[in-house]
Amino acid sequence: MRMPPFRVLSPKSLDEALMMSKELSESGEEFDWVAGGTDLLPNYKWHINVKGTVISLSSIAELRGISEASIGAMVSINELAEHESTHPVLAKAAHSIASVMIRRSGTVGGNICLDTRCYWINQSETWRESIDWCHKCDCGTGADCRVIPNQNTLCVATYQADLAPVLMCLGATIHLASPQGKRSIPLSDFFKLDGMTRNILEPGEMVTHITLPEDASDWSGDYQKLRQRESWDFPEAGVAVLWKVEEGDVPSSLRVATTGLESIPSLHSEEAEDALENWSGLETVEILSESIRKAVKPVQNTWFSPSYRRKMVKVLTKRACRKLLVS
Amino acid sequence: MSEKEDAPKEIVGYRQQPGKLPFSRPGSGGKGKFSESTDQEMIPESQGGKLAQEWGPHRHDELISGRVIGKSTALVDSSWKVTGQAHYGDDVRLPGELIGRIVRSPHHYARVLSIDCTKALELPGVVAVATGDDAKNRFGVLPVTKDEHAMAVEKVRHAGDLVACVAAIDEATAREAERLIQVEYELIDPIHDMREGLEDSEEPIHDRGDYHIGESNVQKRVFQEFGDVEGMKEKSVASHKKNWIFAGVNHAFTEPHAVVAHWEPNGRLTLYTPQQVPHYVHRALADVLEIPMHQINVHRTFVGGGFGGKSDPFPHEMCAAILARKSGKPVRITFDREEVYWVNRGRHPSRIEMNLHADDEGRICGIETDALIDGGAFASFGHVTTYYNGVLHTAPYEIGAFHYTGARVWTNKPASGAMRGHGAVNSRCAVEVGLDDLAEKLSVDPISLRLANLLPPHSATITGFRVTSIGMRECLERVREESGWDRKFRKLPLGKGIGIGCGFFISGSGLPIHWDPNKFPHATVHLKIDMDGGVTIHTGAADIGQGSDTVVAQSVAEVLGLPLDMIRVKSRDSDTSPVDLGSYSSRVTFMNANAAVSAAMKIREELLDATVEITGAERSSLIIGDRRIFLKKDPAVGVSYLEALHKSQEDRGALVASGAYRTPPMGKMHKGAAAGLAPAYSFSAYVTEVSVDVETGQIKVDKVWAAHDCGKALNPLAVEGQIIGSCHMGMGQVLSEEMRYGRSGNLMNPDLLDYKIPSVHEMPEVIPIIVESNDPEGPFGAKEAGEGPLLPILPSVCNAVYDAIGIRTSELPMSPEKVHKMIEKRCREEGLSDPNNLTSPSLQHSPLQGVLEKRANEHGIRDKDRRLNQNRSDYHNGALFGLDPTIPPDEVDPRWSVRVTPKEEYLESPRLAGSAWKHAERRHSEGQK
Repeated sequence: MRMPPFRVLSPKSLDEALMMSKELSESGEEFDWVAGGTDLLPNYKWHINVKGTVISLSSIAELRGISEASIGAMVSINELAEHESTHPVLAKAAHSIASVMIRRSGTVGGNICLDTRCYWINQSETWRESIDWCHKCDCGTGADCRVIPNQNTLCVATYQADLAPVLMCLGATIHLASPQGKRSIPLSDFFKLDGMTRNILEPGEMVTHITLPEDASDWSGDYQKLRQRESWDFPEAGVAVLWKVEEGDVPSSLRVATTGLESIPSLHSEEAEDALENWSGLETVEILSESIRKAVKPVQNTWFSPSYRRKMVKVLTKRACRKLLVS
Repeated sequence: MSEKEDAPKEIVGYRQQPGKLPFSRPGSGGKGKFSESTDQEMIPESQGGKLAQEWGPHRHDELISGRVIGKSTALVDSSWKVTGQAHYGDDVRLPGELIGRIVRSPHHYARVLSIDCTKALELPGVVAVATGDDAKNRFGVLPVTKDEHAMAVEKVRHAGDLVACVAAIDEATAREAERLIQVEYELIDPIHDMREGLEDSEEPIHDRGDYHIGESNVQKRVFQEFGDVEGMKEKSVASHKKNWIFAGVNHAFTEPHAVVAHWEPNGRLTLYTPQQVPHYVHRALADVLEIPMHQINVHRTFVGGGFGGKSDPFPHEMCAAILARKSGKPVRITFDREEVYWVNRGRHPSRIEMNLHADDEGRICGIETDALIDGGAFASFGHVTTYYNGVLHTAPYEIGAFHYTGARVWTNKPASGAMRGHGAVNSRCAVEVGLDDLAEKLSVDPISLRLANLLPPHSATITGFRVTSIGMRECLERVREESGWDRKFRKLPLGKGIGIGCGFFISGSGLPIHWDPNKFPHATVHLKIDMDGGVTIHTGAADIGQGSDTVVAQSVAEVLGLPLDMIRVKSRDSDTSPVDLGSYSSRVTFMNANAAVSAAMKIREELLDATVEITGAERSSLIIGDRRIFLKKDPAVGVSYLEALHKSQEDRGALVASGAYRTPPMGKMHKGAAAGLAPAYSFSAYVTEVSVDVETGQIKVDKVWAAHDCGKALNPLAVEGQIIGSCHMGMGQVLSEEMRYGRSGNLMNPDLLDYKIPSVHEMPEVIPIIVESNDPEGPFGAKEAGEGPLLPILPSVCNAVYDAIGIRTSELPMSPEKVHKMIEKRCREEGLSDPNNLTSPSLQHSPLQGVLEKRANEHGIRDKDRRLNQNRSDYHNGALFGLDPTIPPDEVDPRWSVRVTPKEEYLESPRLAGSAWKHAERRHSEGQK
């Protein structure tokens, strides 16, 4: 495997990075941001959507801050997992990502912006040629989608990152910067249901940091994921359930989010609200789990089959709620 | 409990640091100060030492000097590896090298109409291009099935098949040139399902001419019947039947294939390649390049894992040589991981029907096996694999009848081939799971069932294999005791289970496939000792990480009474190494170390002669200790090794000696009788404990007690390593590894992220238990330990899963989703909504249990007698069923006659693979020549 040649720019500050971004877009040149590179570089080796220039964010100190309320985009996943101020559920999710070596390179921003994955994309060029190409990355070939054939618009590649569902449940806000200015939006509005575009980032725009609301530490919960092996594997399904209990054992707030099942992570607000309204312990958890199972629509493009993943979403939801029933 | 808890054992050669070695002085013997006293713990009782010999004396006993055999020894090449100085295939750098790349077919099956290389050749930096036209001669690992070309001639047979190759000044240019080569194809309908391969096809993947089987894609078919096949069903009181589907698995070694070819200034070719079988590559190169073998030097680099995946001559090796010839420069080709999957040679995807029958005395009165194996696009070792799927489960049990139909078909997939446990793994899993089921049906303990049905030492199997040492009983007894089996089996709570599985494997294949074993040996070793006293070993045995260099060094050191650092092994170049068949069929330790011992014995004789001449001592009372030869009764009388050596070197210089090994005559005469024949066999028994998550179907292997009979552990450290490594590899196949083909027929997971090798998190604690049955013909009693230990892990996991949740899989790998499906099915059948309410199986012994225990005890006594009593009579399979053990039953009882072709009646309703016999070979069918 060999990456096609590309140019690396290493800005020392956010302003410099945005300046570079501006210059490149003005000259009509496409580029990628690279953070830890654990996602981008393997894709480059596979010749998937390779750009001529990448801007490395590794020398920008401003993006590395971490505190209870704010997590920089360039904080490594390992640092997040080990940091004392990290919310315990977030730490658990971070700790379950890939392997320790990848966690040390991979970053929070990179994980949130992880490219979607599919059996028919994440392959070498020769391999993709043998299936007559894939429409996500081999633009111009007129290729069809290999997962759901006979449609040429929607990409159903799967979003398989772990941090987003937990952050969404915690009510995180994502902060973006581009040469045009900065903006902040709730993380749950960040993703866009298409395996190709994935999120609302405009060309030249980047993630600077994530902030958590003040009440984040009042939430407790759990994150459960499904995969073949305890290491390396991307989540085939992931469920975060977070709740607030003010008194007794009835939750006053409840949020559920899933990942690894569709092209974006999803916050299941309706299902969670229904459960909260009619809370009766174990029985409600059963109903909630079933409703989450019905809410997700995985397709056949990862290691496990869609039917198994849906069944397991139910089990994972139940398991994520286990501590709620004990407390 | 285990020996591991004792004080840590010293490891010979461990903690070596370059430049800081405590070198042995060659002539130190006699000074006392440097000479070590003999380790009596390592000297057999029969030689006056303290080493217990429960299995009786051995012919190598008097050669044991107590130096290294039986001591945990760091591999002699380990320092190269741990310091990063070992040069693997891709580490070879020759001045002026070019980089070669291979153009591969994107189609499963197509005719190559034209190849246009002009654009590629115009690209600056491209030096040479080659296509199938440059090398039209066929090759293949087995002389009977040469069906490969360096690059496609006429047709491509699988996606990834080689079409052309290009050499350029660097990798980027080569890759660019690869895209510029334009190939025009005409598509042919591919075959992906192995069952389709049994049918007639308009365009069979290969054409075997007169020997083609019908118009089908059947590459090899086997029919075998031994014993009382007609009677087995009548006698049976319990039967097991299961249709298995095994996914194909890849070796997934660390080092991808890499090769460097260089035509040296003198006109000779040197090929640097990480190969298990340099000699076969040597032959194939000569065939393909049309040059004599003496003009080729095959240099084996360090091998980063082989497991059978580097034991074919490969087309890319030919490509490198062709490109190097065309360009006049060294050419290096290194594979991407994906290309490793395209060349594959992994375990065959298989469909196996397993039938077992037991009679009212708990005897295995019949095994009926039908194995259809998916060979992919080429023959590779498949001819042998087809036999091995049957014959390698005719032991270690005494059986009343054996019926086997096997077929290997070509499909448009990467070729399957030999992989660790060659051909035996899948059908062994089916047999051992079947025995567990039979035990369940008979309400007896599965270990007792096995113990009451074992062949004794020095017996013949139903297929006529001569079995010498058997440590099976000890293996079973030890894992039962150490795992606490009797406390746990069928008594653990839901989700926790324990299971047993056994294995049987060849220790070297009986016939060298290229020549008559009576005329040319299997293995040859040369020794050379010059004035410095160091011993140079020339051997062609390929060290692929299993430690063959270490074993041969140990063997010579032991016989000559020298420390290991005085031995150096030259095993890399075919120019200087005697011919050796290579590292496959677990033959190297057995055959090569035997050859080394023979060579060392000749040197030893000369040293003893010299000692007699110097000291005047009586020859028979001399013994060899550490670098010193002395009188047994008066160690003060003697000479140092160097003195004796220099004495024998007088008037002629360096001492040289050669030793060889060939197998004794063995086996029966029927067609295919040689397949599975080996000078010795290894045995193993594993007990595995698992946890199953009943809600998700996920299986975690918690602990494995792994007993393996390797005859004699020449290097216990290496044997333990092989056992633990085998557990890991087999666990991959049983739990998660598979080559998954998508609906388009493409391999969906040609990378190590999606090809799920168990990680360190999945790896259980493995307790290796070494059983030493002291083989009469093995070097110092040793047999193989490289492949056999893999077999039992699969069935023991399957059986443990049954113990945990009462479901029996018939499909490997047992991925969580398959297990979950079976759990759901069981819940539905029992009307349960929550799988946590399932019950795990229980066992109430039937009266048969007592019968089995009694028989096992009697057999234990019989076996002990047979292994110690040199005057034992013959024992042929069948004695358990009341036949005369001293005569092969097929010679006296017509019901036990051997059949190798099916009767007409059989063809009326054949089993799946058996239906391959419906076709007639072209030469026999009407209207054909």
